[in-house]
Amino acid sequence: MLFHLAWATLTRHRSRTLLATLGVAVSAAMLLDMVMLASGMRTSLRNLLLSKGFQLRLAPKGTLPFDTDATIPDASNVIRVVRTIPDVTAISPVLGGQIHVTIGARTTTATALGVEPAVQGDFEITQGRTPAAMNELVASDDFLRATGARIGDTLSAAAGYDPQLRSFTGRRTLVLVGRAHFLYMPAEQRAVGLPIATLQGMRGADARDRASLFMIRVRDGADVDTVLHRLQAALPTVTAVSTETAMRQVDERLSYFRQLAFILGAVSLAVGFLLVTTLVTVSVNERLGEIVVMRAIGVARRRVVLQIVVEGVAIMLVGALAGLALGLVTARYLNSILASFPGLPAAIDFFLFEPRDAWGALALLTAAGILAGVYPSWRGASLPIATTLREEAVG
Amino acid sequence: MLAALLIAAFSQSIDSTPARRPPRTIAIDERLAADAHIKLGDRLVVSMTPGGVGDSVIVSAIVRRRADPSEVARAEYRAVMHLDELQSLIGYGDRVDRFAVATRGGVAADSAIRRVNDVAFGFQAFRSRDIAVETSRTFLVVSRFHRAIGVITIVASAIFLLCIMLLKVDERRRDVAALRLLGISSRSIVRSVMVEAALVAGVGSAVGVALGWVAAQLINWHYRGVYRTPLAFALVTPGIVALAVILSLVLGLVAGLLAARRLVHMPALELLTGRHEDRRTTLPAAVQT
Repeated sequence: MLFHLAWATLTRHRSRTLLATLGVAVSAAMLLDMVMLASGMRTSLRNLLLSKGFQLRLAPKGTLPFDTDATIPDASNVIRVVRTIPDVTAISPVLGGQIHVTIGARTTTATALGVEPAVQGDFEITQGRTPAAMNELVASDDFLRATGARIGDTLSAAAGYDPQLRSFTGRRTLVLVGRAHFLYMPAEQRAVGLPIATLQGMRGADARDRASLFMIRVRDGADVDTVLHRLQAALPTVTAVSTETAMRQVDERLSYFRQLAFILGAVSLAVGFLLVTTLVTVSVNERLGEIVVMRAIGVARRRVVLQIVVEGVAIMLVGALAGLALGLVTARYLNSILASFPGLPAAIDFFLFEPRDAWGALALLTAAGILAGVYPSWRGASLPIATTLREEAVG
Repeated sequence: MLAALLIAAFSQSIDSTPARRPPRTIAIDERLAADAHIKLGDRLVVSMTPGGVGDSVIVSAIVRRRADPSEVARAEYRAVMHLDELQSLIGYGDRVDRFAVATRGGVAADSAIRRVNDVAFGFQAFRSRDIAVETSRTFLVVSRFHRAIGVITIVASAIFLLCIMLLKVDERRRDVAALRLLGISSRSIVRSVMVEAALVAGVGSAVGVALGWVAAQLINWHYRGVYRTPLAFALVTPGIVALAVILSLVLGLVAGLLAARRLVHMPALELLTGRHEDRRTTLPAAVQT
């Protein structure tokens, strides 16, 4: 009977209940989106950084990986020192640069990553194979589209210009051996991957024995922080960054979005709460006579309160379920906007759906629905029966 | 070059070594000055690598950054040096990263760009405006995101306002019924409800604008502190105020009109006794008995 009474009350004012449910649905959608925004970027960044199992990164002193054009000198010595540190199982040097590929009369410029193909963690081969020889490279879809090159083609590439001689410098003839997905690059980036020694040679004296970044894999079960401290002690001229540190620094830079998510999420919850509180309060005020009659015929106060709370929770739950679907649609749209940030890796999602987010939003809304019904229902059920009956009868 | 500047800035320390030649001057930004407790006239050593051999310089200026959105999330320090000294310090040779070229008006700029690009190899001339468009892409994305969030917020507010107005008018059903029984015309009742709705929406808008202004001040105070920039993060412009007030008034009036029309089309006696609700409600058998 409890639910039947609640249902009867809610359907008594259909348009009012419908509007309130719609309002809660929009608030719930916003709340879910903001919960997803608050945690999604962190989670997808963490997944990306750990996707190849490298827990630590070495960058030029005072910078984040690839944050500037700075490079680390004496790369072979860095590799030698890192290999002496216990629990390090792999080190992958990376050198960034630009490469100019000339096909016919047209020159295409692309981002080049010099790596050790055997241990690299920057790209995944989607077709063909990893470079095995010094004159081999792999390329991204966009590079292949822009140049029209195919696997097996021989390409004429250069790493720089000499304005005085009006010619390319660092020329090499390279063979395209694979198509690759570059993990840390934006979706529409022309990129190639080739052996680091080849890129160092192409770039000349500026890049001799230099690397932009080292990625370090630590043995499973080992304490990453201990390895980090050892690296910092052994290599004072570089910055060692753990996944946690990188995330903390990115968090600082993008704290705006987290705070925006918190503020808008709180506002959404408050709007949903206010909406249901208002509705339940008005509903209780309209039914004071009905409530005191129930109390007069022996219905317990607790039961009256419960019935009114059920009404609030029902609006919240139905609104939240509709809001869940609406929230997923709007999150997809908002994510597509933020995904067009220049330079953002394609694998980063600002809005990442995780079931615990949906449960979290639902729990918050349910709690808000219960709270919204408690005060007006308790006030209504606590009115003096005789006086209220008389007032309601007289009008 | 920026990287080299950063490295130079990070590696600064109070100079205790004898100068090889008269020290040149350097300007640093106030963020670096505050964090490293550097004052005008201090002598520093700047080097390419941390702890490496460097040049002595004297701090001749502490500069305040411009309100540039592209720098807002970058927590780096900045130092401005004489070009030849920086080239020498970082072994850059006779090279620069870019030139800024002033021309006499738009036509001269077009002609200069064309001529530079005709003769250039390995570099290209751009119009400053085009570079500004390219570097502001990040903010266009943020702006689009804000607009989308704004639309969702407006939809939520509109539903909230409609619901509140509906409840408010519904609460007046006995007054409306009494007025109708006294012979007041439906048109007068609708008008009176709409005037009330407009007043509520107007007062609500004024309170909302005041709250928005206070929130904007708090946001600017907070983020200026976080990002250490003079940028304004939130602005309450006359256009935004006008949009909020007009939207609120229109929604309030529409909601008032809908609710009032519903009330005036119901029999007055039923409104007075509340039977219009009972007709629409089917109570469960347990309650009916």
